[in-house]
Amino acid sequence: MRREDIIAEQVQHIKINGKLSVDELIQEFSGSGSFGAGRLSTACNIYERMVRDESCTVFLALAGAVVPAGLRSLVADLVRKRLIDVVVSTGANMVHDTIEAVGGHHYKGHWLADDFLLYKYHVYRIYDVFVPEEDFVKLDYALTKIFDKIADENVGRALSSQDFARELGSKLSDSNSILRAAYETGTPLFIPAVRDSEFGFAHWLHASRKNVKNVLMLDAFKDVPEIVGLCKRSAKNGMIVIGGGVPRNTVQSAALASKKGMDYAVVITMDRPETGGLSGSTLEETVSWGKVKDQADKVMVFADAMIVFPLMIASVVERLGDNFERAAHGKES
Amino acid sequence: MKIVDNKKFCGNCGNHTVYHFPDKIFCGRRLEADMDPVMDTLGRCGDWHLADQECYCVREAMKNKEGEATKSSSVKAAKL
Repeated sequence: MRREDIIAEQVQHIKINGKLSVDELIQEFSGSGSFGAGRLSTACNIYERMVRDESCTVFLALAGAVVPAGLRSLVADLVRKRLIDVVVSTGANMVHDTIEAVGGHHYKGHWLADDFLLYKYHVYRIYDVFVPEEDFVKLDYALTKIFDKIADENVGRALSSQDFARELGSKLSDSNSILRAAYETGTPLFIPAVRDSEFGFAHWLHASRKNVKNVLMLDAFKDVPEIVGLCKRSAKNGMIVIGGGVPRNTVQSAALASKKGMDYAVVITMDRPETGGLSGSTLEETVSWGKVKDQADKVMVFADAMIVFPLMIASVVERLGDNFERAAHGKES
Repeated sequence: MKIVDNKKFCGNCGNHTVYHFPDKIFCGRRLEADMDPVMDTLGRCGDWHLADQECYCVREAMKNKEGEATKSSSVKAAKL
């Protein structure tokens, strides 16, 4: 490589002259090309290519408390507009989705709260978001009844987490719910660690009642062929990862097991790679496993997903325009 | 908070969680037994057991109860 190839492109300084649309701001970031601004503009370009690629199935891996913090409706809208084809979520995010679907709320709080005072008032804190205990309790109570119905309709059958999410979504009526949106659009939604959330405790309540008729049965292993099959059947695969953890691992492992490897990848995280934990592992490390292709269109954005994800979506939606339509991907064939 | 006057209420029973703060609690043990799990914070059943959660349920429910009592006695006084 020659020296002039190395210093070929100059940094364009960001200009804000008057009103800017979100995508215009992202284009300014692209002109800079530096640090988080450069990574975010690259993420927007990759996501745009992902959704414009008709042969690509787009996976969204959802970890971290982004649903209680306010990304719920945005994710539900993406599902409805088919800008996401498959959702893989922590149990907690779907619990918080269901809390709002059954009438509960999340409240703006503060990270400097007196936590023992919150405890005395039965209020839980997620950084600067507050959730009253009664909203969890009302969720549990509602879920015991919903689990009864699901169990009665599936006697002798163990559900995969995808089946469970579909059944639950079918019994919620809130159109802003991610679970409901997935159910209505036939979008596969996996909750691989479903037990590790309030769903687990609600199941305990449902199953431990004296006169329970049928107990809801789940078989987490059923998820494996289902999600691997989705990767296998798709000519290309792409992933947007918020956070990491179990959802990122589930998506990446499906890409590995299907011998496909991801063709596109955007990871938004603030975790670091040095501990060996998946949430901070670099996409280069992922290449060594065959989970992401060496030549994949990929970037990691090291920033708060609550800022970066809505910016990325707003920018790409603006580029796609009002008339953009995308065919359904990821449904069972 | 220490349990008010050492009295036994649903709101200071070890089984309680909040259903509608501060006046209603939810009792998982009652649900288990297929009984109505929603109880008055200042109510009580035979399955009460002490496990001080140091919460404000009883204190705040007492305040509400006293507030209601004051309100109703002033209404009565006004009627008289």
